[in-house]
Amino acid sequence: MESLTQIRRIILTLLMAGFALLMIMPFIWMISTSFKSPADVFTYPIQWIPSSLNWEHHIKVWSGADTFATYYLNSLKISLISTVGAVFLSAFAAYGFARIQFKGRETLFLIYLSMMMVPPQVLFVPKFLMFEWVGIYNTHWALILPGMFTIFGVFMLRQFFLSVPSEISEAAFIDGAGHLRIFFRLILPLAKPALATLAIIDFSWHWNDYENALVFLIDKDLYTVPLGLQNFILENNVDYNGMMAAATAGIIPMIIVFLVGQHYIIQGVAGSAVKG
Amino acid sequence: MHKSWMKRQSRLGYLFIGPNMIGVLLFFIIPAVYSFYLMFTDYKFMSPETNFVGLDNIRRMLNDDLFVVALRNTFVFLLAVPVSMGLAFIVAVALNKSVYWQKTLRALYFMPYITSGVAIAFVWMLLFQPTSGPINGFLRGIGITNPPGWLSTTEWSMYAIDIIWIWFMLGYNMIIYLAALQEIPEELVEAARIDGARPWQTIRQVIWPLVSPTTFLLLITGLIMTIKNFGIIQAITQGGPGNSTTVLSLFIYQNAFRYYEMGYAAAISWALFAIIMIFTVLQWLGQKRWVHY
Repeated sequence: MESLTQIRRIILTLLMAGFALLMIMPFIWMISTSFKSPADVFTYPIQWIPSSLNWEHHIKVWSGADTFATYYLNSLKISLISTVGAVFLSAFAAYGFARIQFKGRETLFLIYLSMMMVPPQVLFVPKFLMFEWVGIYNTHWALILPGMFTIFGVFMLRQFFLSVPSEISEAAFIDGAGHLRIFFRLILPLAKPALATLAIIDFSWHWNDYENALVFLIDKDLYTVPLGLQNFILENNVDYNGMMAAATAGIIPMIIVFLVGQHYIIQGVAGSAVKG
Repeated sequence: MHKSWMKRQSRLGYLFIGPNMIGVLLFFIIPAVYSFYLMFTDYKFMSPETNFVGLDNIRRMLNDDLFVVALRNTFVFLLAVPVSMGLAFIVAVALNKSVYWQKTLRALYFMPYITSGVAIAFVWMLLFQPTSGPINGFLRGIGITNPPGWLSTTEWSMYAIDIIWIWFMLGYNMIIYLAALQEIPEELVEAARIDGARPWQTIRQVIWPLVSPTTFLLLITGLIMTIKNFGIIQAITQGGPGNSTTVLSLFIYQNAFRYYEMGYAAAISWALFAIIMIFTVLQWLGQKRWVHY
């Protein structure tokens, strides 16, 4: 009986591993194609291991006039500043919503809630006009400034702050501490895992954000990784190996972030959906 | 004393929320209000003058054949949501307890979801290559002599996008299902087993009903997420061939930033909002009926 369930378990594992392999097949094909010679791209049966390693496609992606090095730097700058700003500003607001009683709190929170329903398409045109008027259209600020405000972040951290027992801050109140002190000395340190989760998820959004970059950036030297990738492919649309080398360059950073912060990402995604 | 304490609390509350609220006001509320105004104008980028045109944009939208096409494509796009959820449920049940290497397998399934949509768009573009691409190579290999033209044909392009989207969302749906499965008390499943239920019966009659609130939530949030998305389609097909992959969200982008019909784009974007609103109300009602704490 015991061994029977074990066999069943092994079979199921193999089945699920096979399906998982199918899921990541596009990535494997992408990487292997990026090293193939042009003649081998579409040979069938598929050549999973290239007959010889051709580095030239990767070299092409990383050198030349429009290089991925520039796109990486731009993306890194935008994603880092936005994320740090978003985490800090969200934490501040979330504390206010979760822990301070003030007039109009419920109404304000409802307005925040309703803003989550507004699709980004509604906001694109007015933001485009606004940014042009202020003079930040086609600069990184057009992505960084709005990126520092995430309604999702406020929701997520508010939920976390609500779960911190009120006895903790009550004791501090009796000792004469104010909200500011409680926030910085007590709540923020306690919230480190939640802050890390938000930071990783937010960073991945900014890194992968294609739509905003598409609307607000024109100059090639300002391009982020997704836009740079698109640009590369438009200019090299017959070079399939080069396309796959570029796609690889576009994906690798997020895979690294994912491997490092897997636990936080999965936890954050699971938590966010359950809470709506 | 109580009154002044309340006042102090209020001031502190605004101090905490203020910085974030300024941003939300500038980048969400004001643009939303402005877009609402634009819907009633004939604003075109760089146009000499802007006129108030009342409901003209909305009338135009309802008579626009392309709007109808975009709406239909959007619904075909949305088909990916339940399909992806079904597959994700099966994977989640399998990965919940009964397999080895759980963590690794979870990570593998989740991988597509964290990668850049544009990068995978280009990978799939080559995979779907009609004459020499690996997918059709495989299909010919198993004896299908005339495989679909996928992204290059108007009949199949939207379904090809669906396949990509099913693949992309699967890991996300799986993680949420796993979270729900872990909430199910062990005793319930155990009791069913003792009563002689087969694994399949347990899944259908015990587990599936117990995760139904999650199913509903995933369905609605998935529909909302999908309806907003256009990046992946813009990157692969730009709405083509013909207009066979022009979904509503892409149609808005094209009107605004390709044709600079910004008033018209604003009107369509509020139609999109209306659809999202319907889903949100459904979710709200559903929560009352299905989600029991």
